[in-house]
Amino acid sequence: MKFDSVPSGVYPELVYPEYKSTVKRGPLQPLLRVDAALPVTENIATPPALLLPGDIDLTRPEGCDGEAIGERIVVTGRVTDEDGKPVRNSLVEVWQCNAAGRYRHKKDQHNAPLDPNFNGWGKMLTDDEGRYRFVTVKPGPYPWGNHHKAFRPAHIHFSLFGNVYAQRLVTQMYFPNDPLFDYDPIFQSVPDEAARQRLISRFSIEETMHEHLLGYEFDIVLRGRDATPMGL
Amino acid sequence: MNAPANAPVNKITTSQTIGPFSHEAWQWSVDLTANVETTAPTVTVRGVIYDGDGTPVNDAQLEAWNPHALEAEAQVAIPGFRRVPSGEAGGFEFRLSRPADAPADAPAAFVTIFARGLVKHQFTAVFLEDAPLSPILAQVPEARRGTLLARRQPDGSYRWDIRMQGDGETVFFDYT
Repeated sequence: MKFDSVPSGVYPELVYPEYKSTVKRGPLQPLLRVDAALPVTENIATPPALLLPGDIDLTRPEGCDGEAIGERIVVTGRVTDEDGKPVRNSLVEVWQCNAAGRYRHKKDQHNAPLDPNFNGWGKMLTDDEGRYRFVTVKPGPYPWGNHHKAFRPAHIHFSLFGNVYAQRLVTQMYFPNDPLFDYDPIFQSVPDEAARQRLISRFSIEETMHEHLLGYEFDIVLRGRDATPMGL
Repeated sequence: MNAPANAPVNKITTSQTIGPFSHEAWQWSVDLTANVETTAPTVTVRGVIYDGDGTPVNDAQLEAWNPHALEAEAQVAIPGFRRVPSGEAGGFEFRLSRPADAPADAPAAFVTIFARGLVKHQFTAVFLEDAPLSPILAQVPEARRGTLLARRQPDGSYRWDIRMQGDGETVFFDYT
C-alpha cells in the first residue's frame, strides 16, 4: 500500500500544553519518512480462534451471572482504507469505563462504583465488508487530574491493526452533542475541526433495537491506499 | 488495483492517546505473547523508556513485530508479535526470534509505542549493533542512527533505551 503524508492539522499536536502529559512525552523531531517494504505489505496475523464468545457483548462478561448496569447500546461501523476499500478480517479491540465513569484498572482512583458485571473490554474481527459490531453500555464522563474541573467526554477507546502494519491506529470514539468537547484538551489537541468531528459517532435509529438498546455508528478510515487485491 | 484517478479520497480517522487505562484490556495479548515457543535462535532486547526529563515512562505499552519469525513461531497464537507494558521503573524486555534464514540486516523488531500523553502512537524499529547496516537504518541521518541500535551486553542480551523527547530522541518513522 501507499501512505501519503497526513495533511497538517489532522493528527493531534504531539506537544499540546493544555494536555499536560504531552509536554514531556511528545517527540519534538519531525517524523522520518522511510521506505520499508514489510510494514506496508505485511501484517500481524490474528486468527479467529483468539476471539471468545463474550468478546462482542460487554454487558454479559464471561464468568458473571448478571448484566451490566447502564444505558445499553450497540456500536457498529465500517473500517475502510483511504480508497474506501473494506479492511477485512482485521482485529479491533475496544475498552471503556463503566456507566458510572470508572475503569476496571488498578490505577483508576475515581471514587465511582465498579460494576461487578462489567469489565469494559472486548475484541472482534471485521467482516467481509469491513464491519465490526459490539454491544456495551454507554460509558460515563469522569474526572481526571489535568486541570480544574477536568472531565473527559464519554468515549470508547479503539485499537485497530488494519490490513498492513503501517495502518495501525489507536483512537477514541465520542458520542454526539457532548457538552464537554469544548473543554477537553485531548479532543481539542486535533487542530482540524473536520478531523475532530470524524471522531464523533452518529446516533442510528436503524441500529436501534425496539425495547432493547440504542444504536451508534462509527466508521473508521485507516491510512493507506492502492491496496493490491492480494493484500486483502 | 489502483482506484480511478477521480475517486474520492476518504478522510482518515485521526489518532487519540491510548490513555492510562489500557492495561487490563490488553492483558490477554500480553499473556499470549509472553514466553512464546520458537524454533529459531532468539535475542533478548531490554531497555527503559524515558520522557523528555529523563523520567521513566511507567505506563507505556510497546508492541514488537518481526515478520521474519512467522515460520519459527507458527505454533503460537500471534506469530512474530509481542506486546509488553513498561514496568514501574520504565523497563521493558522482548525475547524475539531471529531466524538464521532471515536477512542478516533485518531489524530485531519493528516497534510501536503507545502511552498516556502520547496523542499518536509512534513507529520505530530496533536494530542490532553487530548486524550489517539495514537499508531502513541507512535512511536515518547518521548522527541519529545510534538511537535505534541495541548494544550487546556481556550476558549476550541487547540493551536499547527509548527516549521520547529531547537529547538523544529516538527516531520515529512515518512509512511511505
